[in-house]
Amino acid sequence: MLFQKEYSFRGTHADKVNRLTSQFDSDASFKLFSRNIDVYVLAPIIGFLYGRKSPQDRKGSDTTTKIFTDQLIREETIMKYNYQLILLLDKKHEPSFDERINKAFRYYGNNSPETLTDEELYDQYVLGGIELLYEKLIENATNTEDYLNNLYDFIEEFNERYNETISDEKILDLCALARS
Amino acid sequence: MLLKQLKLTNFRQFIGEQTVEFAINEEKNVTVIMGENGSGKTTLAQAFTWCLFGDTDFEDKVVFNRSFERKMLPNQEAVVRVELSLVHNGIDYTIIREQLHKKDSQGRLKGNNTTISIAYKRNGQQEFVKYLEVDPLLKQILPKELSRYFFFDGERIGNMSKEIKKGKSQDFAKAVRGLLGLNAFISALEHLKPTSKYGVIGSYNDSYDSKSDQRISQYTTEIEKAQEEVDRIDLRLDEINNEIEKAQEQADKINALLLTMAETEKLQQDKMKLVNSMGKTRQARSSAMGSILKQFNSNYSTYFAKSLVLRTLEELSQASKLDKGIPDMHARTIEFLIKRATCVCGAKIEFGNDAYKELNKALEYLPPQSIGMSINQFVVESELKIKSSNNLFESITDQYKAIRDYESELEQCTADIQLIEKQIGDTKRIGHLQQDLSRYEKIKRDRINELKEINQRKGSLQTTRDRFISERAELTLRDEKNKKIEIYKAYAQFMYDELNKVYKKNEDETRQKLERYVNEIFRSIYQGGMSITVDERYNIQVLVEDENGYSDDVETSTAQSISVIFAFISGIIKMARENGSQQDGENKLLDSEPYPLVMDAPLSAFDRRRIKSVCDALPKIAEQVIIFIKDTDGELAEEYMGAMVGKRYLFSKKNEFETYLIPR
Repeated sequence: MLFQKEYSFRGTHADKVNRLTSQFDSDASFKLFSRNIDVYVLAPIIGFLYGRKSPQDRKGSDTTTKIFTDQLIREETIMKYNYQLILLLDKKHEPSFDERINKAFRYYGNNSPETLTDEELYDQYVLGGIELLYEKLIENATNTEDYLNNLYDFIEEFNERYNETISDEKILDLCALARS
Repeated sequence: MLLKQLKLTNFRQFIGEQTVEFAINEEKNVTVIMGENGSGKTTLAQAFTWCLFGDTDFEDKVVFNRSFERKMLPNQEAVVRVELSLVHNGIDYTIIREQLHKKDSQGRLKGNNTTISIAYKRNGQQEFVKYLEVDPLLKQILPKELSRYFFFDGERIGNMSKEIKKGKSQDFAKAVRGLLGLNAFISALEHLKPTSKYGVIGSYNDSYDSKSDQRISQYTTEIEKAQEEVDRIDLRLDEINNEIEKAQEQADKINALLLTMAETEKLQQDKMKLVNSMGKTRQARSSAMGSILKQFNSNYSTYFAKSLVLRTLEELSQASKLDKGIPDMHARTIEFLIKRATCVCGAKIEFGNDAYKELNKALEYLPPQSIGMSINQFVVESELKIKSSNNLFESITDQYKAIRDYESELEQCTADIQLIEKQIGDTKRIGHLQQDLSRYEKIKRDRINELKEINQRKGSLQTTRDRFISERAELTLRDEKNKKIEIYKAYAQFMYDELNKVYKKNEDETRQKLERYVNEIFRSIYQGGMSITVDERYNIQVLVEDENGYSDDVETSTAQSISVIFAFISGIIKMARENGSQQDGENKLLDSEPYPLVMDAPLSAFDRRRIKSVCDALPKIAEQVIIFIKDTDGELAEEYMGAMVGKRYLFSKKNEFETYLIPR
């Protein structure tokens, strides 16, 4: 079952996670992501939105970097939530809405072969997201200014692409509607 | 002196034997030698200096052709030679300077000392000038002090104009006087000079008969001793005045520097302010960056998921799975009611009856079978997330903008600091400057004291000398023979005084005439309210005349400096030429030679209009003009001097070590 036991990034993904969580400014110890788990939380969303999946890299370098179990369990709520979001919306993976609801809510963590496939899908989004974050935020950056510009450009681009037309009121209205 | 031909053998980049003939015709007296930068113009000009005086202005004192050097075998010898053919005083001379070079067994090139010889033609027969007469003859042909003004280097003009304006030695004045034809006067005066031991009067002094009185010879010795010391003091006075002037010049320079240093201190303060403000700005930038990263890390999960949340909720709210569950009820509640066999409404529950069926149906919508509650949970979570999130993009945009502002502020500060640093220059020198200044001030004080001292000494020596002279005169009158000598001496003295008067008058006139010529020529080249004065030592001052007639010495620009030197040299040449062409006769007191003007890159500092005036003026003033020039200026020069150009050459540069001179 996901989010219950230690998670390891391997190969090129581990390298990229290391870069995403390492200090990029010698003076002020700035990091883009504070911890590995922050990358792990954000990456699947990015992977899914940008349609980027990637298998585990077992051929590249033998670097590994881990997230420990207790940390995963503490953050389980948010990761479970993200897992549900993705499985509810991935129509390519499962065209039937009813079945997507089942996958998101009923089968979550039941260790059936189908669920293990779903979890595998989620992991591929995680790794695809890492690649994308690396490309957007790290590649071509040589100094503090570059890192900051990359981060801002990425958020700005993301805002334009996905968030510009969304208002919090609209979401809250929908919540009320869904609960009634 | 007119130049006829220059023959070079392996002189620097002029490999092999190469010859330039100069235009000498009265109608066509201009030779133009054209070449691009680095092709050998300056080298050719320096070949004259090397031939005449054995020295060049090059950093690299080796004049041997490098390309030829490479081809030489160990122990092989070869010669660098420059032959300059010229006419002086109606006689054809060829001045030959050679330097023997030998490659040693290790392949290193060694040059011997240079040797010079002068050949001339007598009765159609070539003869060589005797070794001891070479130097005096050279001095007569062209004094070294003046050579640089005739072999004129436009690119080194700055120093020349400074030199010409002050600090010229007696030698310079003497050389100028010589060129102006005052030599005959000067030697006559030297011959009669009363203070000279070897002159006419000196020899009378020696011929006193001291038999009548021992004291006469004793006085003579004393007088000579005193005179010698007075002469020494005069020399020293010249030196001291020069030293004081130089020390003053240095002190002025340092004072000017120190003045700018005071401004420097203010600049330094400005710089510190900028550095401080940069520090603060950096801090602000750093904390804004930190804050952006913090916001990113604490808000990313909601922010990036927002669009997904919206889409999910849209789908869920359209589905009908949510509203069938009974809030807070669990499957266990139903199982309990069935077991109890009584519903909460009091109805009997029996297996298979309506109530039983209804309750079992409800089980589908209740946890754990129902997912309605999970969905509900999901919705509540979404609601909480959205309510607690802020807009990451908006909040970091402001900070990002602030960072950009800080950055441009930093850039501006850096640029300002660089500017200030440039203005400040090397501030570390200030300590040295103070030391130097006090050193120069001390030199000045010391010399002024010495000046006072030796002036006093001079005065007392003169008194002693004069006393002995009058006492000797008294003694000599007692003896008939000595009385006669005294009378001869009085005649000699009278002649000296008269001649000196005429000379002074002549020199004055000559100098005024020179000043007039120089000014005429200067005005024809350089327009503007400036005039030139020539003092007793033939130093030059450039004065600006303003509207109120007030005049002041000025710093001159490059173009002005060149014009001044042009005017000065041309003035001298013009006068020399006039003196030379005067008819022989009783009244001919002044006698001198015409001179050529050899110029390296003389026009580069001028604009087109000035080039034209220079080109118009020069061939008319000088008997012979030889110009080394780069192609663009050369075309202009040829255009303006057109008809006067008699010979044309072009430098053809094969490589750094091989250049050929080709007639055009």
